This record gives sequence, structure tokens and C-alpha cells, in this order.
Amino acid sequence: MAEAKAVSVDQVTIEAYEKAKGDGVETVFDRVSRIKPCPIGAGGACCKNCAMGPCRVPAPKNREETPEEKAKRTGVCGATAETIAARNFARMVAAGASAHSDHARGVAETFLKAAKGELKDFAIKDEQKLYQLAMDLGVEIDDRDLKDIAVEVGEICLAEFGKQEGEIIFLKRAPLKRQEIWRNLGIAPRGVDREVVEMLHRTHIGVDQDYENILMHAARTSLADGWGGSMISTELQDVMFGTPEPVAGRVNLGILKKDHVNIIIHGHEPLLPEMMVIASQDPEMLKYAESKGAKGINLGGLCCSANEILMRHGIPVAGNFLQQELAITTGAVELMTVDVQCQMESLQQVASCYHTKLITTDRRARIEGAQHIQFEEERGLEVAKEILKMAIDNFANRNQDRVMIPDESKEMVVGFSHETINYLLGGMFRASYRPLNDNIINGRIRGVAGVVGCNNARVQHNSNFMVMIKELIKNDVLVLTTGCSAMAAGEMGLMTPEAALEYAGDGLRSVCEAVGIPPVLHVGSCVDNSRILMAATAMVKDGGLGDDISDLPAAGAAPEWMSEKAISIGEYFVASGVFTVFGVTWPTTNSEAVTKYLFEKYEDSLKGMWAFEQDPVKAAQMMIAHIDKKRKELGIDKARERILYDMEKRRELDAA
Amino acid sequence: MVEYKYEEKELPDGTKVKVLADTFEPGETEPGKEKIDWRGRLFSRDWKLKYLQTGERYWFSKSWYGSEKRKNPA
Ligand code: SF4
Repeated sequence: MAEAKAVSVDQVTIEAYEKAKGDGVETVFDRVSRIKPCPIGAGGACCKNCAMGPCRVPAPKNREETPEEKAKRTGVCGATAETIAARNFARMVAAGASAHSDHARGVAETFLKAAKGELKDFAIKDEQKLYQLAMDLGVEIDDRDLKDIAVEVGEICLAEFGKQEGEIIFLKRAPLKRQEIWRNLGIAPRGVDREVVEMLHRTHIGVDQDYENILMHAARTSLADGWGGSMISTELQDVMFGTPEPVAGRVNLGILKKDHVNIIIHGHEPLLPEMMVIASQDPEMLKYAESKGAKGINLGGLCCSANEILMRHGIPVAGNFLQQELAITTGAVELMTVDVQCQMESLQQVASCYHTKLITTDRRARIEGAQHIQFEEERGLEVAKEILKMAIDNFANRNQDRVMIPDESKEMVVGFSHETINYLLGGMFRASYRPLNDNIINGRIRGVAGVVGCNNARVQHNSNFMVMIKELIKNDVLVLTTGCSAMAAGEMGLMTPEAALEYAGDGLRSVCEAVGIPPVLHVGSCVDNSRILMAATAMVKDGGLGDDISDLPAAGAAPEWMSEKAISIGEYFVASGVFTVFGVTWPTTNSEAVTKYLFEKYEDSLKGMWAFEQDPVKAAQMMIAHIDKKRKELGIDKARERILYDMEKRRELDAA
Repeated sequence: MVEYKYEEKELPDGTKVKVLADTFEPGETEPGKEKIDWRGRLFSRDWKLKYLQTGERYWFSKSWYGSEKRKNPA
């Protein structure tokens, strides 16, 4: 068993882990100490793409290899260490892009059915966002019926996934120069289905054996995710459930309530969670809960399902990826639903130690031993109520003697969609990114960083996020965050406007005070990284900071990443021109050439590049150095206050 | 109703004056309760479209392309 203090920087997590240990329940923190990562696989040196292998081609340790040795370091088929590392990396991108985009496809299908009026429980909630999409997609608005507009929007979006020719429509949202870069490189993507299939084909034995060529297609595939699948998902979810606006919320295991029926909604898609929110507010359900001795119904989220309902309704968040088992080990959770992605298989084993029911709800993601209740959109609210009723019925089975709910949860202000940032900076009549750009130009804000991604049990829970984000805001870098990273920032108390007073540098603090925003902005779930792309584009288009995303004083990071989705996100950030630093481990270290290509040569073509640094302070410093480099290139490296000319000065100027 | 608090300050000439101190209702924000529903204020289709052309002008204004003003639209 792991030393409790070592597992997390978050006291709540430490207490909850101690409770789990006391109950004799094994969690991820224990498994990680008994399973060592395979160093050959970790560096991308293992190929199992055919039955002549698996072939392992690690570079010799602590010495230079001779050219003869290098030439022999191949798989049975002759694939070099470069090809193998590039193929493994590219397949991670393909898998990550698939995860986001398969989620998005489900959303698009539901959207279309809802638009056609086939789903009684789903509707168009944000008309304005629908018009925004219609304008982007070239759908006529005039005085057409809302339903007709929505159906056409839904059909176009759904067709985007399988687009065989041309390029995906949302690409034209990007800065013009960025579009040119993609077109010149031949990587403007078609539909994500096509790019992913081609990626898997290229990385099959005996196909693409030029690592540079493989990696350029990896970039194309990731763009089909970021500016395609993920973006479609974000946009359609906004239309159906509302574009996030600032709302107060709370985060950490302390949101569980001793006298309420506690239900945890885990996973990534917002469809069932939205229905659960409605069902939990139904007076009949509340009455039923009371009839079973509970004071009420308490919903809490985990992972990105949590982010979705937090951003739109302020539903509290129980925790991030590494806290999922600990939510159950509090002994206070009646039921946990899971849909897709990042849900540990061990949940069922943990749940079986308590009274908790684990319910899988998506046919694509079953867990042995868990009960399956298929979420069907046609009877969305009915399914949600059925699940809720099960949870309420299970309240009586809770053993209060085994309950330990940590005291603490933190307050936060969330809901910073790029539209809302635009509105907050300028108001209804002058909505604009201008104040942000001005404050970057005058040096109050040094730059902008996107800190995103998962937790990874190989590093102390939340520690890299905490250190990196604090280092960035202390140095006047405004942080936009999503996913588990956002929850970590919330748990550290960095998501209130007051946090700026305590943690931000003077310049950033003055801007946060003036606008009334936290120094760390919660932008949403992991598909919502597409919102960061849009915010960056708005900054470019507003002017004064170059004419491409790569010109911005901006950087990205995922200091505790672990999933293939994170690699896809990082890759589309890079392919969109962002310098992106990952922590923990790097999947191509076995091939110097591939690593160099991703870390250096990508910059020549894509104007963005990867970096790897385990130390979060050093990683933050690398981001700041990049931001400073961009400030210098823009000629704004010396902090400048804007000079306001009075009439006398103007006359002097005119006379000159 | 909030009870006003006052504090004593000194004017440049040394005169003491009583001024209103921080005045707010103490308490915690309640999750979900303090939503700034700015989009709700745009209630008609015309207003919504107008806002898109001005507020979201980076993508939807016909005459203004920010840093890309000089170039052809995509
Ligand atoms: S594809 Fe080549 S390197 Fe990979 S397992 Fe087969 S023989 Fe080995």
C-alpha cells in the first residue's frame, strides 16, 4: 500500500485514500506501486502490429550506438526504430481522435433526432448558438422555421464525420494564415473517420515507412479531431444544453452529503447527465427520496461528464480521474453511472465492497459485474428516473458506520466559453477580445496558457497542475483550463476571482480585479479544448498580436497526461501553431530522430512544436520563455502602457 | 437588510470623517444559483443575429476582419 501523504497534494484525497486503506480496498494508488511501466513500451520501442512480432527495438542505454548496431535495430519486417516510434505515436493520435469524435457523433445523432422532434426530452436550448452554427455552415436563416434550420445544421454536422473529399467546414474558422499553412502542407483534413482510417492503414505493417510522412498525417488526423469532431461536439452540445455562462460551483469529495441520496455521474458525454439533472429536480423524485429517509438528492460529477453539467448548471464536482474510486470508498455513494472514457474497470470491484451500485449506460462501454441500463435518448428522462429511483432505493442499504465524507470542498466560478469571455471583456454592446489583447500588449498580462489533460497515477495527484498553474499565474500568464486539469485547479482554490489576489502577479491581478474573473478560467470538458482554439483565433483576428495562432504569446501543457486523447489534443494544439509541453513521460524517447522531429522540425512546417519536461516548474518556465520569445518577435517585449493623447499632444503630433 | 458599517478616515487637513465601510451580505455562493445569463437578454432572432455580427464579428462581420482586414475572407 502506498504512503497516504505521497498520493496527492490534496488533503481531501489523502484522507479519502486513508479511509480506503483502512477498509482494505485496493485502489489505483496501490496498483501503480506494484506495476512498473515497461521502459521499452514507454519509449515507443515495441511494435506488435503483426504476428511476426512483437518486436522490441530499444536503443542501448548510456552509450552511443555504432552505425552497424543502429542498422540492425529493426523489427522482423525491417521497420526501423523511427518507423516503430512514429507508428505508435500516430496510433495514439488516431485512438484519441476516435474517442472524441465517436462521442461527437453520438451527440450529432441525438441532435438531429431532437431537431426533427423525435426526442421528447431534448430540445434546442440556445437559439443563438444555432444561428452561429448555421452561419458557419452556410445554412440559410432568414425567417425560416427554427426546426428546419436545426435539421439542416444537424445533417451537415453529421456528414462532416465521413467527409471523403475537400476539407472540414470548421477549418475556415481558423486564422487565414493558419488555413494557408495547412493547405500548403496538404494536411487540411477531410472527415475524421477518413483520416483515422487512413492513419491506421498507414501504420499497418509494410505501408508508410517514412516517419516524417507518418507524423504529418498524425497532424492531419488530430486536426480532424480538434477543428472537427471535438468542435462539432462542443457546438452541438451548446445548442442543445446551452452555451456556458459564469456560474458558481463546488469541487471535491466534500460535496457528498451525509443525509442525501448521493449519485455520481462519471464519464464524458452530457446526454444522460443532463437528463439526470432534470430528474433530480423532479418534485416526485424528491418526495420519493424523502419517503426513504433522505433529505434530498445530491448529484455529483466525475471527469468530463462533471465538467459538462458543472459548466451549464453549477452541479458540484466530486473529483477528477484519480478520485473516482475514492468517491465510492467514502461509503456514501448510492449509485454511480458511467458512460464512456476514463472509467476504471476496478470501479466494480470497489463498489462491491460497499452498497454502491455501478451502472454502465452505453453499449460501447460495459464493465463485467456492473449492471447495464442502456441510455436511450428516445426515453432519456425515463431512463434517468429509473436510475435515480434505484439510487433512492439503495439509500436504505447505506451503512452509516462506514461513511467518511471529507469535510472540504472548494468554491469556484466556472463557465468561460469563448463567447462568454468575449462578452465579459467588453459587455453586450462592445463584446471584444480587445481588452485582453491590449493588456497583453501593455504587458499586464504576459501571455495565455492552456493547461489541460488528465491525472496520471505515476505522479502525485494534482501536484504538477498545482505547481505549474501557480508558477504561470504568478508570472502574469492567464490560464485557460479544461478536463481534469480544471478540477485540480478548482480543488486548489484557484478558480475564484479572489484567487487572483493571492496567487497572481501584479499585472494579471489588476486585470482579473477589473474584469472580475479568476486567474484560471474553466473552459470546459476535454472536447471543449476546441473552445481554446476559438479563443486563440479571436485573439489573432482582433489584431495586434500577429496574424496566426503561432504568433501569439501563448503555450499549452498537459503536465499529468495519461490518455491517448491527451496526445490527440496536444497534437492538434501543435498543428494549430501552439508550443505544447507534456509531463510525466514521453512516448517516442526511444527514437531520437522522431523526438527531434516532433520537438524541433514540426516548428519549421507547423510553426508549433512539442516539448517534454517532467519538472512542472521547469515546464512552466519553458512556456514563459516561449511566451517571452513571441512577445519579442511581436515587438511588445517591453511592458508598455498605452499613451492616451490629449488635444495638446495631438496638435503637437499634427504639427510635426 | 444589511446593517451599514462605518469607519473613520482622516482628510488631508486632519479632519476626521466617518465613511461607509465594506458593505455586503456575508455568505457563500450557492452552486448553480448565480448564473450570469447574458445570452438570455438577446430575446429575438434579430437581436441574436445582430449580436453575432457585432459581438462575434471575428467570424461574422461582413466588413471587419480585424488583423485580417487586408486579406480576402476565407
Ligand atoms: S510490423 Fe514489423 S516491427 Fe512490427 S511486429 Fe511485425 S515484424 Fe515486428
